[in-house]
Amino acid sequence: MAELAPSRIEVRDLTLMYGHDTVLDALSLPIPAGKVTVLAGPNGCGKSTLLRAIRRLHLGQRGQILLDGVDIGSLGAKDLARQIGLLAQSPSAPPDMSVEELVRLGRYPHQAMLQPWSEKDGAAVHRAMEGTGVDNLRHRRIGSLSGGQLQRAWIAMVLAQETDIICLDEPVNHLDMAHQLDCLDLVAKLNREDGRTIVLVLHDLNLAARYADQLVFVHEGRVRALGKPEELMMPELLAEVFEVDAAIMTDPVHGRPICIPRGRAKVKRVREVA
Amino acid sequence: MSLVMDRASAQSGLGIGAIVLIVFALFVLLCLAGIGFGSTWISFDKVAHVIFGGGEKSERLVVLQLRMPRVMAAAIAGAAIAFSGYLLQRITRNELASPGVLGVVDGAALGVVLFLALYSNESNALTVPVAWQPLAAAIGALAAITLVFILSGRQASSAIRLILFGIAVAAVAKALTTIFMLIGPIYQAAQAARWLAGSVNAIGWGEIQIMAWALLPVVAIAGLLARELPPADLDDVSSRSIGLNLPVYRVAVFAVAALLTAIAVAFVGGVGFIGLIAPHLARLLVGRARFAGIVTSMMLGAMMLVGADLLVRVAFAPTEVPAGTVTAIVGAPYFLFLLMRKDKTNG
Repeated sequence: MAELAPSRIEVRDLTLMYGHDTVLDALSLPIPAGKVTVLAGPNGCGKSTLLRAIRRLHLGQRGQILLDGVDIGSLGAKDLARQIGLLAQSPSAPPDMSVEELVRLGRYPHQAMLQPWSEKDGAAVHRAMEGTGVDNLRHRRIGSLSGGQLQRAWIAMVLAQETDIICLDEPVNHLDMAHQLDCLDLVAKLNREDGRTIVLVLHDLNLAARYADQLVFVHEGRVRALGKPEELMMPELLAEVFEVDAAIMTDPVHGRPICIPRGRAKVKRVREVA
Repeated sequence: MSLVMDRASAQSGLGIGAIVLIVFALFVLLCLAGIGFGSTWISFDKVAHVIFGGGEKSERLVVLQLRMPRVMAAAIAGAAIAFSGYLLQRITRNELASPGVLGVVDGAALGVVLFLALYSNESNALTVPVAWQPLAAAIGALAAITLVFILSGRQASSAIRLILFGIAVAAVAKALTTIFMLIGPIYQAAQAARWLAGSVNAIGWGEIQIMAWALLPVVAIAGLLARELPPADLDDVSSRSIGLNLPVYRVAVFAVAALLTAIAVAFVGGVGFIGLIAPHLARLLVGRARFAGIVTSMMLGAMMLVGADLLVRVAFAPTEVPAGTVTAIVGAPYFLFLLMRKDKTNG
């Protein structure tokens, strides 16, 4: 952990409830600058909610989220959108919208009410489409794209936003293996080459371990553990957080830990009798 | 910016421009026909003559005092309702949304009937200026759409929920309207019934002036709001994450749309389905282009009401059938068609 950069984002004692359900329970989490942070955890653990809270799409009842030391609650909507981008879990756009039109929407936070489209906006859209390889699809309608193309178009939209911090909520869901790697390699490249801070929610633990600089296990609304993948991919921890009995090995290609689940772990935690 | 893109957008711009021009030409023709047709036929050149200050005295009377107000009122109201429908369909991302479906029209009707009931004396004359009538309609419309919003609660972003609650609120408003008509004086009830069905036959220049002045600021605000429509086309999470304050924006668009419809129906009555069909047809004609879409919607809406009024005058004369019945007879099957098609795609 020592070599991790200072935090861009600092979640402090965040409690977030939906009605009477506590989704995040006094959760604290630093997000280091220029690193890939992956949030993982079982269904319903609060990881997607946490990601959206970081982007201020959900408001917590207690605690705060600091962006470079400033409470995100004090920032304007467009101001925040110029600093943190977010790719939604299942984004949707009108099927007759063109790819280019979608990507251009990423420039929305950079435009004032009466300020026309600038060359800077055009250049950002161009870069975003080139970087994601959708420039040849720019006139295609959203409704006519394949799953992989569609995901790249959406990532291009988020890239056109030109934010230092990019959050992606399960970006590889519904993609086949090749497109999963395409997508995550692209995200890794954004981090490596442009030094962007990335926060990802991933379901697949092996992908999480492969791409994360900082891996975070979220469990029952709290951060159960965080650290390098090698530190977190431990059988006891996986049994506790994911309720799987898994063997851990080192991936011979990337040198990252991978887990092979044998089956469901026996739940050791004592449940209160109903 | 690349050449390829500029050329492409210029091309599509030309196509859309041509369509808008054709719709405009049809609109002008229909307005002239609306002035020309009636118990006596006045040819287009005579109509033009009168408009530019010439013509015989009788022709001047018929054109300027009898027919032009009807056509003008129908055109302005139809355009306003269509604009309202355009905004609602875009903001709910649902082609089934319209001022009628969301309870705005019936809410406005309830407002007007209450107004007539509260401010009439024994001889059925209004005790306050008729200029207050649009205010009553606006209050009714805003109350209805606010209720729809509150009932939808947390799921106000779900178009289907909004529409279902809208239909429910519309039904309640309609029932209350009927009750107030029944317990009100008979004569006034007959007047109210005509108004509810939608009719432009009794409108004079004074009322048109009030309607236009009331609409002007609302249309200006709606035009400004419409600039932010494209980010709102995305799902909630995405539109908010690119910096649109969606909850506030959505309320603003709903309020402006409700006002547009309320002011229009305050004068021409409960004409249905224009707010549903005009924007939908416009979208088929010009696609997603925003400015062209709004202008085309407004012209189509104007044409629908001018055309409906023309039809009832020509086909049913001398009985004055309310124009709203025509828009309803054409509109209801269209709504059903959209519903069934939607069902199939959800399928």
